[in-house]
Amino acid sequence: MGNTTISLGEVRQDLVRAHNQAIAALSKPGTWWTGAQRRELAITAQLAICELEPVAPWVGVSTVANKLPASLTAPKIAHDAIYRISRHAATLTREWYEKVTAEINPLAFVELCGIACTIAPVMAFRRSLGLPALEVGPAESGQPSNKEPDNIVAAQLNWVPVVGPADKDAAVVQAFTAVPETNRLIWAMADAQYIPDKEMVDPKWTRGTLSRVQMELIATRVSQQRECFY
Amino acid sequence: MLSWSGNEQGIEIELTDVRDATGGANVKFARELLDFATAATELDDAAIVLAREALIKTAGVAVTIDAAAVIANFEMMTRLADSTGARMPEEVVAQRLGAATAMGVDQAVSRR
Repeated sequence: MGNTTISLGEVRQDLVRAHNQAIAALSKPGTWWTGAQRRELAITAQLAICELEPVAPWVGVSTVANKLPASLTAPKIAHDAIYRISRHAATLTREWYEKVTAEINPLAFVELCGIACTIAPVMAFRRSLGLPALEVGPAESGQPSNKEPDNIVAAQLNWVPVVGPADKDAAVVQAFTAVPETNRLIWAMADAQYIPDKEMVDPKWTRGTLSRVQMELIATRVSQQRECFY
Repeated sequence: MLSWSGNEQGIEIELTDVRDATGGANVKFARELLDFATAATELDDAAIVLAREALIKTAGVAVTIDAAAVIANFEMMTRLADSTGARMPEEVVAQRLGAATAMGVDQAVSRR
């Protein structure tokens, strides 16, 4: 069987834009992490996803010799957390979350989840199509904004805090609302990768390639492979 | 969502076929789409090349690109859900019990 080459030029521009925007943000100052910290955490997420022999879920990657750079700008627990989210997401527990957020601000944790949720889809997309591997750009200087929305509340449907009123939307929709920039970037990717938000209720919506049922077939299979109970 | 979208379009979906990755009755290119999604979530480089080529051959490049985009989306959403402790309201869990059973969720041993 011949090996067909697909180039980035063949990919829809809205999808390229959404990915490029999210990738560029990985090395810029965020809301709670600096550009250097975000870049460093993104690289740990990449490592977690592509390792043939990953560190076990219950082992912190920072405790294993030669896995991470000797000098880190983000705390070790943040690296341990993003490694586990990126590679072993189905093993996460509320107890684990509470342990991590005893050392990291819960909103910084949300941003960290957003970094993992940027790396994973872009790597998967490129690898699936045989496109060049993702390279995160050099870190940009500057400080995180530390901008916190006014109405942060606890949720019943998530263990992370969200913008109130909680639990009016689905848990996945409200999950990142406490860090608006992360929320914006992630949902811009979702619109381009899957279905634009306003079209979600239309079972016949299509881009002219995959039907909705074909999209859901793929979605179901990936979720099953990742053991995602949600 | 799979059952819902199938019902809305009059397509019968056999969830056990999806669970076992054996097809997915009545969905065009189901075999190739499932193989592509499966290979994409594993780290076998040879398998992903084969699955990609098979999908391109049967469905074309544009479908393959959009299939990769959906795979990417659910590599994102599964981590989003698991890392933020997302859960369904109890009434929704009850409504979806049939689908969950068909997918073998009730038989799965939690890794948590």
